[in-house]
Amino acid sequence: MQDLLYFSQQLINGLTIGSTYALIAIGYTMVYGIIGMINFAHGEIYMIGAYTALIAITGLAALGIAWLPLILIVALLCAMIVSSSMGWAVERVAYRPVRGRHRLIPLISAIGMSIFLQNYVHLAQGSRNIGFPALIDGGFNFGSGDGFQMSLSYMQITIFITTLICMTALSLFISRSRTGRACRAVSQDLGMANLLGIDTNRIISATFVIGAALAAVAGLLLGMYYGSVDPLFGFIAGLKAFTAAVLGGIGSIPGAMLGGLILGVAESMTSGYLSGEYKDVISFSLLILILLFKPTGLLGKPEVEKI
Amino acid sequence: MRTSVKKLVTAVSTSVALMGAGHAAAEIQIGIAGPMTGPVAQYGDMQFSGARMAIEQINANGGVMGEELVAVEYDDVCDPKQAVTVANSLVNDGVRFVIGHLCSSSTQPASDIYEDEGILMVTPASTSPEITERGYELVFRTIGLDSMQGPVAARYIASQSPERVAIVHDKQQYGEGIATAVRDTLKDAGVEIAMFEGITAGDKDFSSLVTKLKQADVDYVYYGGYHPELGLILRQADSAGLDARFMGPEGVGNKDINTIAGEAAEGLLVTLPPAFDQKAENQALVKAFEDKGEDPSGPFVLTSYTAVQLVAEGIEAAGSTDPFDVAAALREGTFQTPIGTVEYDKAGDMKSFEFVVYEWHSDGSKTPVN
Repeated sequence: MQDLLYFSQQLINGLTIGSTYALIAIGYTMVYGIIGMINFAHGEIYMIGAYTALIAITGLAALGIAWLPLILIVALLCAMIVSSSMGWAVERVAYRPVRGRHRLIPLISAIGMSIFLQNYVHLAQGSRNIGFPALIDGGFNFGSGDGFQMSLSYMQITIFITTLICMTALSLFISRSRTGRACRAVSQDLGMANLLGIDTNRIISATFVIGAALAAVAGLLLGMYYGSVDPLFGFIAGLKAFTAAVLGGIGSIPGAMLGGLILGVAESMTSGYLSGEYKDVISFSLLILILLFKPTGLLGKPEVEKI
Repeated sequence: MRTSVKKLVTAVSTSVALMGAGHAAAEIQIGIAGPMTGPVAQYGDMQFSGARMAIEQINANGGVMGEELVAVEYDDVCDPKQAVTVANSLVNDGVRFVIGHLCSSSTQPASDIYEDEGILMVTPASTSPEITERGYELVFRTIGLDSMQGPVAARYIASQSPERVAIVHDKQQYGEGIATAVRDTLKDAGVEIAMFEGITAGDKDFSSLVTKLKQADVDYVYYGGYHPELGLILRQADSAGLDARFMGPEGVGNKDINTIAGEAAEGLLVTLPPAFDQKAENQALVKAFEDKGEDPSGPFVLTSYTAVQLVAEGIEAAGSTDPFDVAAALREGTFQTPIGTVEYDKAGDMKSFEFVVYEWHSDGSKTPVN
């Protein structure tokens, strides 16, 4: 019973972190699916989302507003708006001018953008760790009073539910809406979609904006869950989310979700049953294994050379 | 027009050359190298504030051998690679005395360069024993060693007769070194070590670690590392309902841990150098800091002040600004400083230095425990 509770606790830990990896991974995978480039600045967009949310929360607290749902909604909206405009601007400034060139050029442009944004936040907000207020406290406890107690915090539940809502909304948007259909068309063949009268520039911008908005949601959630933000934390989370996207099959949205969850659970199980020191070793070995045996990732489709 | 431009250029270059010459003749440059930015910049603030104050006061009292001390400041971000770059630019700038670095992992590679290039280094904060184990002639410190700090922490934990203790570290030279010292002392005292595990510095998610600590049912957790990670561990442990007492080295003892951990920082145990700012003989100095609007209570403020003072007194005693002569003078002499009487052994370590156990509070204050 004890062992089962311990296992479930590690599973919950893993799924929580995995769902936020998935939220960030969506941004990588959508951009890759549509224009075939890896947006390395995406982790920074997520970090900026977390900072914006923190600034909004601090601002509201200074105004004396204490009603939690209002604070959360305002912080979420601010973060989404700022991150989305940032995502849009990054595409406009750094990627559109070099689109269609050799693959390496947008990649280098993306790395440059990532370094620029990181340093911008260093300068604007300082390089220290800033504490994030714990707005959602408490949770459920399971297990007998004496032995190991499993806890499921309200914060973790919030993360699951929010991720679920975002993912469902995104799937519906892609499969049902007009813009979603245009997205799919652009991802199948950019040139042809253009000929058929789809404003591809607008669709590509929309992709960046959606990815950035989801990253902002993850920024707010993870900021509250962990408790601090610093200018470098987008980089590490971005790397993990990128791994998740590749693991699940880059270009595939369900793949990003699956990849995120697998990575999160693998990490927490490794630190739970082996040692925290091997966490990254295991998750990246997993990635290498999958790429060796299924190069397209778990749910990726093989790229067919079009003649 | 052309000639006037030429004249101007000549005038400017001559005056620059003169300024350069003046610089070299009547001043002694003191390099201060530490983190001005980065995750542990608050320790750097302590270091810079202490060293600047010492330089100011020494200059106000007529300088060293009639010459003025000039501070030259360098930012190493507590990054070993950056520390090497800083050390090289110090060499280029012709600086011969360095106060720094702060992080052991920066001090270690930088000191190789200083020793080779004949630059005297006094670190006010690096506690890793390996720094003075290499038989270097020009390396000194104004702080104790992990091998002194670890046992103080371990003896305190052992005196509370805990059932099980977990030890966690950040896999860096400082954190792992001190965690190992704690583990060895605890083992000798017969305390059961339930866990000895590393985490990755910069990580944010410690939920798996906290779950594991809960499962192991430990009474004490010793963390070797810095405050950004311990702050998060404290907070995540608190919200997961882990009932254990945490303890850490001086690298976790600063007010930033309160902004991260909030209420969860209450009751954290920290080994720190004794509160030199509380000593009666230092009150004039404490007032000088307060008049400048600076806080002298940080663990590295007065150690940095002392480092500068020792360099100055070493130069006076040697009657020379040659770093090797100064090093010899430091090894021979006995110095009265704000951190007490300083005498050096051959390795460049102080012959005595004590650490004290403090209890940390959620408002950022601390009270001594033993």
